[in-house]
Amino acid sequence: MQDLAVKLTPVRPLRAITEALWRTNPISKQVLGICSALAVTVQMNTAIVMGLALTFVVAFSNLAVACLRHAIPRNIRIITEVAVIATLVIIADEFLKAFLFDISKQLSVFVGLIITNCIVMGRAETFAINNSPPAAFVDGLANGLGYASVLVGVAFFRELLGAGKILGHAVIPQALYDLGYRDMGLMLLAPGAFIVIGLFVWLQQTLLKSR
Amino acid sequence: MSDAAKTVLFATVLCVACSLLLTLASTGLKGFQQKNALVDQHRNILLAVGALEADRGYDAEEIEALYGRSIRCLYVDATGAVVSGDASQGGELPMYLYLKDGGEPAAYIIPVDSRGLWGRIKGYLALEPDGATVAGFAVYAHAETPGLGGEIERRWFQRNFVGKRIVNDAGEFVSVRIAKGAVKDAVRQELQPHFVDGISGATFTGTFLSQGLESILQTYEPVSLNFRTRGMLRIPENSKVCKTSPSS
Repeated sequence: MQDLAVKLTPVRPLRAITEALWRTNPISKQVLGICSALAVTVQMNTAIVMGLALTFVVAFSNLAVACLRHAIPRNIRIITEVAVIATLVIIADEFLKAFLFDISKQLSVFVGLIITNCIVMGRAETFAINNSPPAAFVDGLANGLGYASVLVGVAFFRELLGAGKILGHAVIPQALYDLGYRDMGLMLLAPGAFIVIGLFVWLQQTLLKSR
Repeated sequence: MSDAAKTVLFATVLCVACSLLLTLASTGLKGFQQKNALVDQHRNILLAVGALEADRGYDAEEIEALYGRSIRCLYVDATGAVVSGDASQGGELPMYLYLKDGGEPAAYIIPVDSRGLWGRIKGYLALEPDGATVAGFAVYAHAETPGLGGEIERRWFQRNFVGKRIVNDAGEFVSVRIAKGAVKDAVRQELQPHFVDGISGATFTGTFLSQGLESILQTYEPVSLNFRTRGMLRIPENSKVCKTSPSS
C-alpha cells in the first residue's frame, strides 16, 4: 500500500502551491528570475501582468513537456523544451499586444525574455519531464504564483515608497508632502529593487530558520 | 525506425505544431493589434501638440474622439501646397493640422521617420503656425537601448523640444539638434534656441536623430515657409483624404 502511493505520486495542489509560495519560492529562496524582477517592479500593474504572463507560460510549458515526456528523444530534450517555451512566450506577448497594449509597451522586451527565465526552464527540466501532466501543470502554476507573489510584493514597496502610489492611485496624503515628506527616488531605480529583494530574501531565511 | 530518424520526425512534428500555433495567434489577433497601433499613433500626434495632460491616462475612445475633433490629415506636394481631390502625382507628403476647438490651425504636425542606432525612430514633430517654433515632439516606435537611447520616448526629453526654433534670427533654416550633454554647457549662447538637452550614454541616438530631424524638416521646409511668410496654409475644399491604415 505504501509503495503504491509513492508510485502514483498523488497531486496535492494546495501543498505544491504553498511550498512554491514560501519554502521553495523561486525568487526569494532559489534566487532565480532576478533580472525581470528588477526590471518590471517599478509599478504594481506591470508586475501583476508580468507575473500572470510567466505563470501562464510555466504552467502550460510544464503541461506540454509532461504530456510529451515519453515521446521526447533524450538527445533533443532541451531544444524541445525551449521550442515549447518560446512558442508560449510569443503567444503571451501577442495577447498582451492585442489586449493590454499600454502595459505591453512598458514591459517591452521583458515579456520576450521570459524564454530565458531560469524558472521556466528549471521546472520543465527538473519536474515536468519526470511527472504526470496534472502534477506538472500544478507545479508550474505554483511556481508561477510564487514568482508573481514576490514580484507584486517588491512592486508594492517600490511604487509606494518611490512614487507614493498603489496601482497608480496616489495614497500618500498631500498633507504629508506639505510637512516635507519626499518620495524616495532610489526606489524607482534598479538598485532600489536589489535592496528590496535582498530584504525579502533576508526576511524569509530568518523566518525559515527560526521555525 | 532508427533513433536518428525518430529524432528528426519528432523535431519536424514539433516545429510544424509550434508554427501552426504561432500563425493562429498572430493572424487571429492582428486586427486588435493594428487598432492599438493606430490609436497609439493618434495618441502621439495629440501628445506632440500638447493636447493631452501628461499625468492622466486616456482610453482609446477618448483618444479617437479628441483626434477626430481636432486633427486633420492632409497631403502636401513639393511646393508646400495642399493636394486636392484624389490626384496622385507622386512625391506627396502626409501632414497633420491641429485645429484647436475646430478653428484656425494651432499647429501643424509632420511625421518623423529617422535612422536610430538600432532601428528606425518614428514619431511626430509639431510646429506652431509661425512656421519656426517647435510645439512638441513625440516618439511612438523605436528600438533604442532601454535606459540610454530609449529615453527619447520619455516626457523629460520630449518636453525640451517645446519652444525651440528651427530658423535663426536671420530667418534661415537651421533645424533643431540634440546637444552632447546639457545645452547650457555644451552649446554657445547664441545657438542655444536650436538645441535640446542630449542623453548621456546615447550620443549615436542623438546624432542620428539630429540628422533625421534635419532632413525631414528640410523636406517639409516649403510648408514651413508658407506658414512663415503667409501665416497659414490654404486648404482647398476637396483636399485629398488620408488613408486610415497605420503607416508602419
